[in-house]
Amino acid sequence: MPAMSGMASPPASASATTADAPAPQGGTAVSISDFKFNPATLTVPVGATVTWTNNDEEPHTIAAKDGSFHSPGMDTHGTYSFTFTTPGSYDYMCSIHPFMTGTVVVTK
Amino acid sequence: MSTENDPGGMTRRQLMRHSAWFGAAVVLTVAGGEVISHVAGSSGAAQQATPALRFAQISDSHIGFKGPANTNVTDTFNHAIGQINGLGYTPDFVIHTGDLTHLATPDQFDQVKHMLGELNTPHVFTVPGEHDSTDDAGQKYRQAFGAGTRGDGWYSFDVAGVHVIGLVNTLNMQKLGHLGADQLEFVEKDVAGLSSDIPIIVFSHIPLFAMYPDWGWGTEDAAQALSYLKRFSSVTCLNGHVHQLFSKTEGNVTFYSATTTAYPLPAPGQGPAPKPVTLPAGKLRDALGIREVSYTKGQQALALKDQKLT
Amino acid sequence: MKIMDLAIRTAISATLAVSGVVHAYLYIHGYRDIPAVGPAFLVQGSVFCALAVLILAGGPGWLQLFAAIGAAGSLVAFALSRTVGLFGFTETGWQPAPYAAITVVVEVLTLVLVVTAALRQRPRASKYLLPDLSPDGAAEPSARQG
Repeated sequence: MPAMSGMASPPASASATTADAPAPQGGTAVSISDFKFNPATLTVPVGATVTWTNNDEEPHTIAAKDGSFHSPGMDTHGTYSFTFTTPGSYDYMCSIHPFMTGTVVVTK
Repeated sequence: MSTENDPGGMTRRQLMRHSAWFGAAVVLTVAGGEVISHVAGSSGAAQQATPALRFAQISDSHIGFKGPANTNVTDTFNHAIGQINGLGYTPDFVIHTGDLTHLATPDQFDQVKHMLGELNTPHVFTVPGEHDSTDDAGQKYRQAFGAGTRGDGWYSFDVAGVHVIGLVNTLNMQKLGHLGADQLEFVEKDVAGLSSDIPIIVFSHIPLFAMYPDWGWGTEDAAQALSYLKRFSSVTCLNGHVHQLFSKTEGNVTFYSATTTAYPLPAPGQGPAPKPVTLPAGKLRDALGIREVSYTKGQQALALKDQKLT
Repeated sequence: MKIMDLAIRTAISATLAVSGVVHAYLYIHGYRDIPAVGPAFLVQGSVFCALAVLILAGGPGWLQLFAAIGAAGSLVAFALSRTVGLFGFTETGWQPAPYAAITVVVEVLTLVLVVTAALRQRPRASKYLLPDLSPDGAAEPSARQG
């Protein structure tokens, strides 16, 4: 997984919330490349903020199957962050390319 | 040396004999081909008669895309529009089969609408691609192009004895394209009263057949829609989305995927994902293009002609 | 024997003609617009009809070889169109019926007949196995050419 160095400043079109704090390390970061989410399943403790970064040339979105989160369109190098406040298993997909799926497991 | 019983080589006479037969084969083949072509051309008086309907298809302009695969999609889209305007006749309408914009921003919709206005044709029809519905389930798309459509943007109309249906299969997708119950009901009711020998044309963005499901190149509930069209003698489905020419016939339905005016995508399975392919310099235009379609009374199948970007 | 050869030749010609005409007919009625496959049908129809005429007229053996190769190629293309697709074109089952079944049958027949004709042409065993029994020692090989 490519290292997330520093803040990724989003281009104008991806109006996502960036982490102002030091970049998320390994545990709460998901990279999108080659139309796949890496890691496909991410486990985080409740209260954690997960940040997705789009390393593809094509735009992607992060859309929860249960509707609990839905990112705006992320262009290349765009990021999106979401803080999980409730434990559970969240399946999500890209609404533009729905064959891309991933899961975030939030533990207590 | 005996000429008749020499098994090793060939005499000059034999060579001439074989050449004569070969020549006869070539001449007969060419003559046969000419005859067959001629019959094909004049069957139903197609070539001589003016087609009842002629339209053009353009697709996947992806205005807003900036990448090495095509550093100027606006330019190639403009060029395609110019090519349609230069066909030598005015198409009865032009259909854009989706992904007009790359990121569904208001500016991109404005730009596409303006550019489509440059087409010399009485009417321009569109269907949305999944890129056109990013962020808002197609709201901005419908504001720009949804006039006269129903539901999420579907519609139908009749022209020159042909029935045309525009479908939206890029919303509420799970893994593949999705039509949904409301739209399926629309299709069922829409064709219920039509005579079975009326040709049907269906436009959609994503293919209505399983071209490559692993990449989302298919529509999960298309089979039901097509079941309502089973009784018709001629059904032609035109789609975009896959950025390459492809055609398939299943029973009474023929599917034709169009190519894009923006950037090519890999052939099914040729690579990890359907990402933009950067071709060697000078090769891009060969992968882009437009399509002419015509319908002549008496001919069941539509006539298609795909043109590369010049 | 000559009658048999003539009969086989006529049969080969007939199978080629049927296959060629069917492909030409399908080309005229819709297949011409299918990318790659359409023009291929035109070529097949023209070539097979030409070969049918020339083989019936008693042309050299290589015409039959080409006919066999063509028939085999047509059968392979047919199989591809029902499975992985031929230039993106697929059909199911025996569509278009009955034309598909007819061409498969005649093309298989073409192959069988060409092989039969070829086997009949191979040098007779007697030419090599019988000892030379003529009084002055001059061999009299069979005058028939292959």
